[in-house]
Amino acid sequence: MIQYRPKMQLAGSSPGSSKAHNLVRVKILCSQPQFAMRRSIVRSLLFSSSSAVPATMAPLPPLLLRYLVVILIPLFLFFSSASAWKKDEFRNCNQTPFCKRARTRTPHSLPRLIVSDLLISDGHLTAHLQPSLSSEDDVSAGDTPHPRPLVLRLSVYQDGILRLKIDEDYSAPSAPSKQRFEVPDVVLPDFEDRRLWLPRVSSTEDGSISSLYLSDGFEVVLRHDPFEIQVRRKRSNDPIISLNSHGLFEFEQLREKKEGEDWEERFRGHTDTRPRGPQSISFDVSFHGAEFVYGIPEHASTSLALRATRGPGVEHSEPYRLFNLDVFEYLHDSPFGLYGSIPFMLSHGLKGSSGFFWLNAAEMQIDVLAPGWDDSAAAGNDRIDTFWMSETGIVDAFFFVGPGPKDVLQQYASVTGTLAMPQEFAIAYHQCRWNYRDEEDVATVDAGFDEHDIPYDVLWLDIEHTDGKRYFTWDRVLFPNPEEMQKKLTAKGRHMVTIVDPHIKRDDSYYVHKEATDKGYYVKDATGKDFDGWCWSGSSSYPDTLNPEVREWWAEKFSLKNYGGSTPSLYIWNDMNEPSVFNGPEISMPRDALHFGGVEHRELHNVYGLYFHMATADGLLKRGNGKDRPFVLSRAFFAGSQRHGAIWTGDNSADWDQLRSSVPMILTLGLTGISFSGADVGGFFGNPEPELLVRWYQLAAYYPFFRAHAHHDTKRREPWLFGERRTALIREAIHIRYSLLPYYYSLFREASVSGIPIMRPLWLEFPEDKKSFDNSEAFMIGEGILVQGIYEEGQKSVSVYLPGEQSWYNMRNGAAYSGGQTHKLEVFEDSIPSFQRAGSIVPRKYRFRRSTTQMANDPYTLVIALNSSLAAEGELYIDDGKSYDFEQGAYIHRRFVFSNGKLTSSTIHSASLREKKFSSSCTVERIILLGLPSAPKKAVIEPGNHETEIEPGPLTLRGGASSVALVIRKPNVRIADDWTIKVL
Amino acid sequence: MEIRLRFALLLTSFFVVWVYGATPIPNKQLLGIDPQDLSFYKSNVIKCKDGSKKFAKELLNDEFCDCPDGTDEPGTSACPEGKFYCQNAGHTPIKIFSSRVNDGVCDCCDGSDEYNSNANCTNTCWEAGKVAREKLKKKIETFKEGLIIRKDEVEKANNAYAKDEADLAKLKSDEKVLKELVQKLREQKERIDKLEEEERLKKEKEEKSLREEEEKSKEQEIKADETQIFDTMENHEQDGSTGNLDIAVESGTDNMVESKKASTQTEEQHVGEGHDDTSESSGGISQDGEISSYEVPKQDQDDSGSTEELSREELGRLVASRWTSEGADQTTDKIGNVEEDLMDQDSSVAHEHEGYTSETDDDRSKDDDDDDDNFEDDRDDEFEDDHSSSDASYIADEYEKPDPLDSIEVSSPTWLDKIQQTVQSVLQAFNFFKTPVNVSDATHIRKEYDDTSSKLSKVQSRISSLTEKLKRDFGKEKEFYFFYDQCFESKQNKYVYKICPFKQASQDEGYSKTRLGSWDNFEESYRVMVFTNGEKCWNGPDRSLKVRLRCGLKNEISDVDEPSRCEYTALMSTPALCLEDKLKELEKKLEQMNTRKPQGHHDEL
Repeated sequence: MIQYRPKMQLAGSSPGSSKAHNLVRVKILCSQPQFAMRRSIVRSLLFSSSSAVPATMAPLPPLLLRYLVVILIPLFLFFSSASAWKKDEFRNCNQTPFCKRARTRTPHSLPRLIVSDLLISDGHLTAHLQPSLSSEDDVSAGDTPHPRPLVLRLSVYQDGILRLKIDEDYSAPSAPSKQRFEVPDVVLPDFEDRRLWLPRVSSTEDGSISSLYLSDGFEVVLRHDPFEIQVRRKRSNDPIISLNSHGLFEFEQLREKKEGEDWEERFRGHTDTRPRGPQSISFDVSFHGAEFVYGIPEHASTSLALRATRGPGVEHSEPYRLFNLDVFEYLHDSPFGLYGSIPFMLSHGLKGSSGFFWLNAAEMQIDVLAPGWDDSAAAGNDRIDTFWMSETGIVDAFFFVGPGPKDVLQQYASVTGTLAMPQEFAIAYHQCRWNYRDEEDVATVDAGFDEHDIPYDVLWLDIEHTDGKRYFTWDRVLFPNPEEMQKKLTAKGRHMVTIVDPHIKRDDSYYVHKEATDKGYYVKDATGKDFDGWCWSGSSSYPDTLNPEVREWWAEKFSLKNYGGSTPSLYIWNDMNEPSVFNGPEISMPRDALHFGGVEHRELHNVYGLYFHMATADGLLKRGNGKDRPFVLSRAFFAGSQRHGAIWTGDNSADWDQLRSSVPMILTLGLTGISFSGADVGGFFGNPEPELLVRWYQLAAYYPFFRAHAHHDTKRREPWLFGERRTALIREAIHIRYSLLPYYYSLFREASVSGIPIMRPLWLEFPEDKKSFDNSEAFMIGEGILVQGIYEEGQKSVSVYLPGEQSWYNMRNGAAYSGGQTHKLEVFEDSIPSFQRAGSIVPRKYRFRRSTTQMANDPYTLVIALNSSLAAEGELYIDDGKSYDFEQGAYIHRRFVFSNGKLTSSTIHSASLREKKFSSSCTVERIILLGLPSAPKKAVIEPGNHETEIEPGPLTLRGGASSVALVIRKPNVRIADDWTIKVL
Repeated sequence: MEIRLRFALLLTSFFVVWVYGATPIPNKQLLGIDPQDLSFYKSNVIKCKDGSKKFAKELLNDEFCDCPDGTDEPGTSACPEGKFYCQNAGHTPIKIFSSRVNDGVCDCCDGSDEYNSNANCTNTCWEAGKVAREKLKKKIETFKEGLIIRKDEVEKANNAYAKDEADLAKLKSDEKVLKELVQKLREQKERIDKLEEEERLKKEKEEKSLREEEEKSKEQEIKADETQIFDTMENHEQDGSTGNLDIAVESGTDNMVESKKASTQTEEQHVGEGHDDTSESSGGISQDGEISSYEVPKQDQDDSGSTEELSREELGRLVASRWTSEGADQTTDKIGNVEEDLMDQDSSVAHEHEGYTSETDDDRSKDDDDDDDNFEDDRDDEFEDDHSSSDASYIADEYEKPDPLDSIEVSSPTWLDKIQQTVQSVLQAFNFFKTPVNVSDATHIRKEYDDTSSKLSKVQSRISSLTEKLKRDFGKEKEFYFFYDQCFESKQNKYVYKICPFKQASQDEGYSKTRLGSWDNFEESYRVMVFTNGEKCWNGPDRSLKVRLRCGLKNEISDVDEPSRCEYTALMSTPALCLEDKLKELEKKLEQMNTRKPQGHHDEL
């Protein structure tokens, strides 16, 4: 009996169980679904501290206690197994000294920073930044009596981009021997080529302000005392973005440890030695003329616009945390950090858009400040102040002037890159589960899709396919013939994905471990030994992919020769690359672990996952001799991850709220460059009700990355397991995606060129429609399609706001709705509301196949929705869907324009400069016209002066479709050719 | 496939007679049309089968979908709802989804679906058909043989069932007789008890005056002891009341933790004072307790507990176990066991208190209690009681040994006669009693009473178990009757799956047993046996098992699988599923396959 003590102590002595703390938790959780509520109640019962027990309470009789144990233990187990997020496992701002310090600071309380020694050198503007020494009551003066100056550098790039760097002055006499970490490999290599050579600085007469040319209509203003940077419009002098307007800039400079000083930080039994002491940076950034700010993933939220985290009206909130973490059963609405981090924020308002990106891979905390946070009476609605804090690194910040939201995205993309063009199969439907157990299971699931006429392109294998979680190996009992298995899928045009995580099993007989150990390729712990952490494979080490040599070595592991049992149709999934370390602080790697070049883990934590993702994608690229586009899905990400593959939102749960939050999460990823992303269909944890699963499929069919996935404790949920009706509904949802693949592929092409995401917030397309700014429920696919999710069980009707001035055509029944209005619509079981915008042409394919492979030669359908002037336009991009030949011009890119009763197809790029060509014999089998007031009977096709019929017809070929549109029957023109079709 | 078959059947019923149409249909246009359906397409204007519209014959298979149901495009992929008919001469004709037509994958064994694609399909129908025919033939053989076995079994089952019913009737009449005897004996016994009591009181009175002085001090001592015991009892009762529990829950755990040690000690003291037979159970507890102390911190599903005391490996495992049930499952089970043991201990402690207070029970009456307990458990056919499930060996014994009640030979008339005679003679012999009661007479009467009432309860339990059995649904022809007393086992890797129809199913690994479910019912008209409400899965559903039955010559479990976590499936072959209708169906199918020979092939049969 006595052996129960440790457990009960454990429960009773919760370190953070002050009453207030519990209250806060309960409050936060109250908005959660039932299970979280239950849990919080039990917790507060179990964990209330002894002081909460009334003094009058007599000691419990012994037998009563025993009953309690008997009753509570099962309760405890029940709730804990159904419970979710482990809040106490993660540091909040108050438990994070740099954040706590910075957050309590008030505006202008620090010594003023003064700019001096301005110099144009090498086309940059450099200057020194030094605190004023005038104030004797300076608090921090005691720490650093004679602070070294900081070095400030401003550079200007094409298209309205300002780069600001602030770092230690390493040339100063007392400079630190070790440099601070600058994140390499994120900024595009050719970005420097776009730098504008600064000719001169113009200063005001009193020398208090210097200004720089930024781009047409925009300039940078550097105020010297106190230091402030402002990007503003030239003519009106209206500021757009400013830094240090509130005097919150602080840069903790590296220094020697003083005697008796304790730099160590402890959290939940983990000690961070912090050998280099405090080195954090914080500053304020203001977005002028902004109504909302967006971005800085990854956080789960039902709101696309970032909510204020501090100031009037905000009772209690953490700042948005950017720290890549493996969070078990994350909440659907919380500012705590998840698997990836992108320190890029955008603002938008009627006056325009702007963006701010801080290239820094250390832990970051960002406050969005509510108007009036600084007690200033002048708090206008016209400005959003934000406060940025980072544990270490340097200031390497980019300001984007916009002025349109798409301009900001393109400016950001010119720094960190656009998405890598995926293979066509990768943008179709993926079927995953932890785990498809063995070859028979794989065959059965594959056959299930055929049996139910549901297309899918990729079957996934999770960790259990390996031999004891040794990646690149197979459990040969369950998977005796992996090549054979993949060939069977390939025969139907399908692909396979296997998982490869960064934790390498510490097993001397495992070749990967042996090589990495021998070559010294692992991340080291603070003492210099190979870091040893616990993950799926048990005791594990992590390749130090910061080192290019390690990445090279890692990439080689994916060659067909090295990865036994792999075939060219096998692609890869990187999970746990935050990195997840089960027995590490906050389920990750200790911050004092050491990387290549003596870089501390704290300095690069948020970019570790990107490097691993990059090395894996390089591996696949090498495997295919640079001819086969890689597909690698990663959970962790950083700015620039879009260049290496797809991202998903990690281990979500099967509840309606998480379905809802998936949309703002994916939209936010898209705004910050990660266009190819999605959420697990159905929810990873838990069992979705069939209705939820169907709704999830209907929504996810529009996600850029469309994959169903489930935890191994959940019930099977392949699409045909919920009765005939639901099978039909899910089939229909998946078919919608397949029918739209030509449109999606064209949008992927656009994203890979311009950085404009596939799935877009409404305001990206309607930047002047104020009602769209805070819409988190609906989204655009490209310019032509608007989708409204259904996020409630048994929902009977929905209010849909349709932006803009043009009409919208319901894609279910062809009905027209006017724009700029909210429409209350009946909700149907068979689809979620989706609309084609008047004025758009959407290319589709109405033949259904097993997978994308068999669709290559199928004919197209063009759906034309005419606007009020009876015009419309759209694009179609086609290539081989696999190789890089498109880079040499082997593609077809058409523009379709309908005006004056005539549809014209013309090529967007001239063929003259092309080294390679792509040809297609595909034809257009059907053209659907919406919004034509008259009912013409015939169309004439040129060249050839060939006539074809026009007849009333359905919008889709399924579900008893009635004739709601006009259909040009079998024009049979080739998609690659120039032609016109005139409606008579 | 079902849809396709149904579709085909529907069409067949419409067009039984196939008349060659006057208008010849061009060959290409015939693609993908079921021959039985050809007449539908012979007119010049054809209706969509769903009645939605009509189309001209030129539009048949013209690669443009006019009918949403695909009527106009049986031979192309233009309509998503269309179906393509492959003749598959030499094998079985099938209808495939239109999405397969010219998609580069050979779906029909005759290759007819890829008439306009790059796929190079060879006709494999005859070879594939041969294999299929052989398989079908074997299946038919099995069905034929199985049918014979089945008939035999059904006959036996009906006989046995009739016998059970007869037995039940007999038992019920026996019960009546026994009840009367017991009643008579009880009257006698009570009379003896009364006389003895009178005798005792008298004696006591006599002795009282003699010993009054010296007894006084001693009695006080005893009284003091009793008070103590009563106090404890009061506490105990209080504890059981829910009102107190609520308070305790609200007051948090710190209090509990502090007083925990004390309580444990108190309990141990009680156990120490108790009878010998409890020391065994207390030993078991402390053993389990040790396990729990090791496992419980690992379990630590909740976060606010400090994990600092854990080794790094333990911490790693602990966090990993959130995503997996591994480890956690074990811990849960262990804690579950501990909990059950705790409950057991509680009941045993309670038992002791009863012993203290009543102070009249002697060892023999305790044994009787135990017997009764066993009886009660014996009557438990189903595994509804969670607590009994923790005792693996017990379950195993119960279902392995023959029903102990069978030892009562129902068919033999002699035992009841014997009892009747004995009782009769006893009653006659001791008709009158005097004080003091003759000790051996009293013992005799009591023994007879005990014996007879024990017989009665045995008969009663037999009645209830038979009644329970006969309530069961043994199938349309009682073909599953013999499943009632049988268990079937199958070894798969390290597990032995044990399926006892109408009772329960389990997965055994060495000595540990996991309950997969208790009998629920048959599904899909006796094709599936369903066991539900098995042991709860960590983070998952209660375990359950579905056993799919199919025709075979022996009762045999062939395949156990867990397609979804904790939802098991098994295949079982049994003659009970060798049905005549199905056999006819198979024979018809074989006949069809044999008649459809492709040209150029010779039937080797």
